[in-house]
Amino acid sequence: MAMKTLCEAGLTVCALNAGRRLDPEKDFRNHRKPWEMKFRGFGNPDKWAESYGYMDSEWVEGVWEHEIPFTTAPGTKWMWPRCFAVGGKTNFWGRSSARFGDIDFRAATLDGYDVDWPITYAEIAPYYSRTERMVGVSSTVQNRTSNPDGEYLPPFNFRCLDHILHAGAEKLGVPYLPDRISQLTRDHEGHPSCHYCGGCTTGCDTGSFFSTPWRFLPKAEATNNLELRTNAVAKNILVDGNGMAKGVAYIDRKTNQEVEVFSRAVVVAASCLESARIMLNSKSRHWPNGIANSSGQLGRNLCDHLYGESASGYLPQLLGQPSFPDNVGDNTVAWMPRWQNLNNPHEEKFVRGYSVYPGGGCTEFPWYASQAEGFGSDYKRAVKRRYPTPVSFTVQAPTLPLASNYVDLDPDVKDKYGIPVARIHFQWGENELNMWEHSKQVCADLIRAAGGEFESSAKEPLMPGWSLHETGTCRMGSDPKQSVTNSFGQTHDVPNLHVCDASVFVTPTDKTTTISIMAFTLRSCERIVENLRRGDQLKRT
Amino acid sequence: MAGQDIQRREILRVMAMAAAAATFPGFTRWAFAGSHPPAGALQIKPATYKLQFFSPDEYALVERLTDLIIPSDETPGAREAGVAEFVDHMIAHDHDQQYKYRTGLTWMNAHSERTLGQPFLKLSQEQQISLLEPLAYKTKYHPGEEDGREFFHAIRELTAMGFYSSEIGYKELDNPALKFYAESPACPHTDDREHKHLRPAKW
Repeated sequence: MAMKTLCEAGLTVCALNAGRRLDPEKDFRNHRKPWEMKFRGFGNPDKWAESYGYMDSEWVEGVWEHEIPFTTAPGTKWMWPRCFAVGGKTNFWGRSSARFGDIDFRAATLDGYDVDWPITYAEIAPYYSRTERMVGVSSTVQNRTSNPDGEYLPPFNFRCLDHILHAGAEKLGVPYLPDRISQLTRDHEGHPSCHYCGGCTTGCDTGSFFSTPWRFLPKAEATNNLELRTNAVAKNILVDGNGMAKGVAYIDRKTNQEVEVFSRAVVVAASCLESARIMLNSKSRHWPNGIANSSGQLGRNLCDHLYGESASGYLPQLLGQPSFPDNVGDNTVAWMPRWQNLNNPHEEKFVRGYSVYPGGGCTEFPWYASQAEGFGSDYKRAVKRRYPTPVSFTVQAPTLPLASNYVDLDPDVKDKYGIPVARIHFQWGENELNMWEHSKQVCADLIRAAGGEFESSAKEPLMPGWSLHETGTCRMGSDPKQSVTNSFGQTHDVPNLHVCDASVFVTPTDKTTTISIMAFTLRSCERIVENLRRGDQLKRT
Repeated sequence: MAGQDIQRREILRVMAMAAAAATFPGFTRWAFAGSHPPAGALQIKPATYKLQFFSPDEYALVERLTDLIIPSDETPGAREAGVAEFVDHMIAHDHDQQYKYRTGLTWMNAHSERTLGQPFLKLSQEQQISLLEPLAYKTKYHPGEEDGREFFHAIRELTAMGFYSSEIGYKELDNPALKFYAESPACPHTDDREHKHLRPAKW
């Protein structure tokens, strides 16, 4: 979004990406089937321990970062999948795209915890609309102020399991609705609509969901204003004699040489933790604690989404029924948006709220097969009978900022380029753990209310970092003593340095981050253009 | 709307090319079993599978076990899908599991000799099944057979992985990933959203 907006406004932009360009025909799934893969898509067993899981798959090799390490403080567990390729995680994302609302921006006023965002929904709404029109998002109008409606293409249709679960959800008063999905149910802006093959998170070779390389990069390159340098690992931001940003130093991965690029302004959009790392590594006599860090908040306020399997089971109504294309959209179809603490901020044992993603049905591989007992023809028949029936629920619970949760530079460990690595400090807090317990009860009840059989809930949530939705390390705010940037992602200390990723978000919400990152970036970049046109680089806010 | 048609034709052409792409060389039954080489393509004579980990005797036992776990009955089973090749290939690349599989196969033969006087492959099918049932069903577990149970569960899991990720396995389940769709598929049961009155199960 930043490249496109700045280039289309006529600015000359040099973009640095730590990885390479991807070729949809070679690097994406491209409808290859498991039996065409060396390990049937399961990956090499000797390498399972170091894999990041579903995203670090046999279909898409070599784009997930394993070379540059990071460390964790004692007692911290963190997983940090980094996609070092042009477009990053937008090539493989889950595509869930709901808007934040005032219930999120004004959460502190409502429940007394932490601080409000320095922005209102009315101010950001037009940018959401413009982003949605560019991207193509499929959903319905739902009239929930906590989950504001946007500009939508027709929704994905409900599958059999959705209708069954929806009936159960209604009995409990829990919303079960079409998700907001950045995937095309109609041809859009010259890109073909989805053909529902379910291979989304291993890369779409028809460009039927939004990704930077399919949509925004060609527009940026069409302006002839973009110079994209790949395999360029940003090291630190360079400053002039006044402490203002004057460019970026990076390491060329092919030559191992350090290179400097000079510019009038710098945009950091390396993703939440990496952006903080780069800025913390940008030390100078003006900025001994890292560039733009007079507040001391750089790297602080690290938040995440707690993810976990709240409940799983099966729907006996569907036993032995013909198979149905349930895996469309790689299982991103329905959503249970936050329904807690909507009218009373303190109704539950926790403040704020979480959402849940339901899924199941005929998926690409019958993982439930290991639960059926026995062997032989009976076993084979049991696996087939059960194929349409599995259901499971994944919670998405926002963490609250805690003093214990932040990223800093490891004082001892450097990567192979000599750059200090990120060191992560993170613990789940009580609020999100209460949400997790609450979600387990609700989802088990929902399965039963739908006439299903509840089988299990996970004991522990997934490892921190799993969600890929971390936020907060360059937090925005109106007080320069308590925040790193303003609502335009402009750092308070260095007016020609902007941050355009989720590190500026004040807190996470029950919703995912990508569409909001794009809406905020659009607004921030138009402000950059305005400032530069006015020669007004010193303007604050 | 004409633009739409051109794009759709282009997509279908690309997808057809992908479907005809070469499979991973070196595998015989799973690469060719059940798949139909496109008309005009070279009919390559499958070479014999070259074992990567198991000895020929061990492999014969692995084959039999996968065959018993997912048999060929009304529909093809593990044998046609080349699951034994998959097991050998995966264990060759899974150093953590190699000891367990080697000793597990040894256990099967020792157990077979001890209880029925013959190595496993010399038993009749009924006898073989009678040895496996106490490893597979909780209500039939025998004390002292923990090693056998652990091995059996491991090879059963790997057999399922190999079978259901093969083209034969996909067809067995009528896996929807075999098809593409022009519109977002919708539940067809418009008069029975709670799915309480569906046509009786076929299997």
